[in-house]
Amino acid sequence: MKARGIRDGVRRLFRLPLRTDDIVHADADAELASLLEERVEHLVLRGMTPEQARAEAERRLGATVAEARDTLHQSAGLRERRMQFQETFDDLRQDLRYAVRGLARRPGFTAVAVLTLAIGIGATTAIFSAVHTLILQPLPFREPDRLMKVSLTAPPVGKLPAMTDMVWSYPKFQLFRDQQQVFESVTLSSGGRQFNVTGGEAERIGGEEVDSRYLPTLGVQVQRGANFPLEEDAHPGAPRMAMISDGLWQRRFGADPAIVGKSIELDKESYLVVGVTPPGFRGMSGQADLLVPITVRPADDLGEAQSHSYTLVARLKPSVSADQAKGAVAVLGTRVAAAFPDAMLYKGDWGAIARDLDGTRLAPIVRQALFVLFGAVSLVLLIACVNLANLLLGRAHARRREIAVRLALGARRARLVRLLVTESVLLSLLGGASSVLVAWGGAHALAQVSPESALRTARGSGVGAVGFSSIQLDTTALFFTFGVALTVGLVFGLVPALQATNPAISGTLKEGGVAAAPARGARRFTSRQLLVVTEVALALVLLAGSGLMIRSLGRLLGIDPGFDARNVLTLRLNVPSAAYVRDSMPAFYAELTDRLGALPGVTDVSLSDCPPLAGGCNGTRIQFLDQPPVPLAQSPGVGVHWVTPTWFATMRVPLKSGRTFNAGDRMGTPKVVLVSETAARQFWPNESPIGKPVAVGQGGFSDGEEVVGVVGDVRHRIDTLSKPDVYLSYAQSPTARIMVFIRTAGEPLALVASARRAIREIAPEFPVYDVQPMTARVADSMARARFSAALLAIFAAVALVLAVVGIYGVMSFTVAQRTREIGIRMALGADRNNVLHLVVGEGIGLAGTGALVGLAGALAATRVLRSLLFGVDTWDPATYVAILLLLGGAAALASWIPAKRATRVDPTEALRYD
Amino acid sequence: MALLKGTLDVLVLKALSWGPMHGFEIISWLEERSGGRLSVVDAALLQALHRMEERGLIAADWGVTKNDRRARYYRMTPAGRAHLRAESEALGDQVDAIATVLAARSAAR
Repeated sequence: MKARGIRDGVRRLFRLPLRTDDIVHADADAELASLLEERVEHLVLRGMTPEQARAEAERRLGATVAEARDTLHQSAGLRERRMQFQETFDDLRQDLRYAVRGLARRPGFTAVAVLTLAIGIGATTAIFSAVHTLILQPLPFREPDRLMKVSLTAPPVGKLPAMTDMVWSYPKFQLFRDQQQVFESVTLSSGGRQFNVTGGEAERIGGEEVDSRYLPTLGVQVQRGANFPLEEDAHPGAPRMAMISDGLWQRRFGADPAIVGKSIELDKESYLVVGVTPPGFRGMSGQADLLVPITVRPADDLGEAQSHSYTLVARLKPSVSADQAKGAVAVLGTRVAAAFPDAMLYKGDWGAIARDLDGTRLAPIVRQALFVLFGAVSLVLLIACVNLANLLLGRAHARRREIAVRLALGARRARLVRLLVTESVLLSLLGGASSVLVAWGGAHALAQVSPESALRTARGSGVGAVGFSSIQLDTTALFFTFGVALTVGLVFGLVPALQATNPAISGTLKEGGVAAAPARGARRFTSRQLLVVTEVALALVLLAGSGLMIRSLGRLLGIDPGFDARNVLTLRLNVPSAAYVRDSMPAFYAELTDRLGALPGVTDVSLSDCPPLAGGCNGTRIQFLDQPPVPLAQSPGVGVHWVTPTWFATMRVPLKSGRTFNAGDRMGTPKVVLVSETAARQFWPNESPIGKPVAVGQGGFSDGEEVVGVVGDVRHRIDTLSKPDVYLSYAQSPTARIMVFIRTAGEPLALVASARRAIREIAPEFPVYDVQPMTARVADSMARARFSAALLAIFAAVALVLAVVGIYGVMSFTVAQRTREIGIRMALGADRNNVLHLVVGEGIGLAGTGALVGLAGALAATRVLRSLLFGVDTWDPATYVAILLLLGGAAALASWIPAKRATRVDPTEALRYD
Repeated sequence: MALLKGTLDVLVLKALSWGPMHGFEIISWLEERSGGRLSVVDAALLQALHRMEERGLIAADWGVTKNDRRARYYRMTPAGRAHLRAESEALGDQVDAIATVLAARSAAR
């Protein structure tokens, strides 16, 4: 039996090994034997013979020796196990108390560590909750992984790129639906339709036109009423039907329990409410408060095979795999193409492709932006972890003497590591708990991001059912936080703990050990320095990313939109199709502009069909009638915009040559168009465009018209360079798309009420919506760039601060370690400046090494940003110079404070210091 | 005389209140102090000692007897002292109550 001499209590105190089962049993046997012998001896003294005494002793035992031994083994084993358990528990409590006391004794260290982790973990959790909600969480439909989106495809023709995600026409859909064998049900819907609810206060609401298999395919049950009857069962002359969302039912109809069977008025037509969809369901677009059967469309429109406007979604049969379905869809695509040949463009080359619906839920650019942010925030977390490891390493180093004593006394290394890891886990859990606050704030802020502004592209393409507004800190995100915190504490506490307890390194009891054995000290040093280099490198990657995004944002803000957005109020007017009579429209435009122009405070009023910067304007192809004919598909594309004559004056868009529209340009007079400067330069590089005959493929202008003027470029999309634009006059080509631009003498929003009132007086059934000052639209168009740049900038700032803290920590540590050396240098005549240079130089050296490594990383990593950048190269030298200067300055500052401390070293004190 | 249930722990603690003892010493002490009226089964005593150690009432260390024999010496812990105080009071009360009841019955006759 080893180490008999040390008492159990001492063993426990110093974490020495306790007993194994064998020792426990031997102990019990020895005790029993000793008792028997004592009694035998006692009885012999009383006069018994040894044989008699032994027999009597065994009688008094109350059992045979073997039996007694068994019971005693059991009771001793039980005792030992219980005590060991109790001890483990006590140890844990003790470790915890020890850790708490240790952390409380160094509040500065604790605060820095907890704050570091709170920011790192909190930011990661917030972005994770966005990624989780927007990308990872299943779609809110039954068995969403069985749903597929089927699109039409077309090969590239001329300059037109290949189409891979085209919508369907109803006849093609019908053929596909009736011939396919792989799907259990197939449905189609039109996303993002707008309806005017009339009868009472006019209101504009989003809706979808769907077929009767829409809800069953998605696996959604109506909460009251019934689904639409199958198209095949619909009898002619049946009333128009509608289903309303739970939100609309509550809001507009006061949750009327008898709503089913009542009629509502949509676009001046009566619709019978047949059902109410369940709470939270707003269609695949995520914006629909209304579903109407697709058959409300005019039959000739619905029957047009080349009128593509519907999204096709299908649910796989249970026995069919996604891959099988993809193959079958490809075959069906050729059959559809053969049945509906396209005389114009693609002939019979159409195809069809099926993809998982889930993959289409976010526009690729949004998905990419989210992944970039998640990557960036992971880097922040990594830096926070490196910082924590650095702090812990420094702390373990400061405790090396205590650790050496324990090891010398024979404490098990595992036990010591546990002691140290308890501290780091406690730290990380504290950090994790505080990070919930950060994460909550972050998730809340992300939920405010409206898809209409910051991530505009999220709409229109993909499934809008999962929006930013649904981002929240749910249990999954909290589990994520907890898991991250625990992992961080374990991993980043374990490494320093293992290192500190490594007998080869810390096997010294002498305080002067480090100074006496520089090789060992230097080795530990290097690992801390390595951490700082890593930290700086990671920070540089983040700084580079955010620097590029900020430069890109600067470019966006800096570009000339081509118009003056100040003091302009904009609003949209919806002209219901039932009220639209082409020939009476010009009179309405005139009345509208006259009426609004007469309002006090209004200096100018004009109309256009589409707001600048927002994108989504019309486009078509232009042909030049004085040149040899070119196939339509190879003609250049142009943006088409409808304006009233004064629009250019209202928006302060300069007329470059020729004339603008005037009162003489009406229906019946020769058709005229204006072109933008870019169009003029691009199409007529060496001559004046004035008087050129062209044909624009929209607005009834395809039969030819004349260019009468050139106007300045207006940026119609924020993220592309100027494209050629053509302007048509409302008076010559009436359209129902109306956006009113009101230039005001003062604050534009002050005019909202009077403008609304004026419009209500002349057109009570036309809802006014989307009322905004033009400046707000400009800001809106930059929201996405602003959003990504702001988040990345925050992450980079955090990373920079953490890196500075890391450099500061290591340099302080270095100075403390080298007090003696510095003292000697000063005693030998080095002045304060030498010492200052020595320390600051080392700090900058560390940062410089990190920056070099980081530079390589940044050049590689920022490549993923390319599609998010506007007008900036990923290797933009100015950005890199700026961030290197910033980092250098920060590193100098971080090492300057410890350096200053070093210069105050008193040589005599330092030499005595041991 | 057989022991009342639960009294062995108290008696052992009482013995140990005089100082550390090994198993046989405890047995001898009890027999001696009871004038030979109490007899403890040896195996049961050892088992009781293990149980009490587990509960933290007593602690044990190996030592050497007067006769140069290795033996496990038990001593009382502070928890054991508190336990002894509480239990001996309770036990005293109980014995007193039983005695009173028995006396009352004979007086009524």
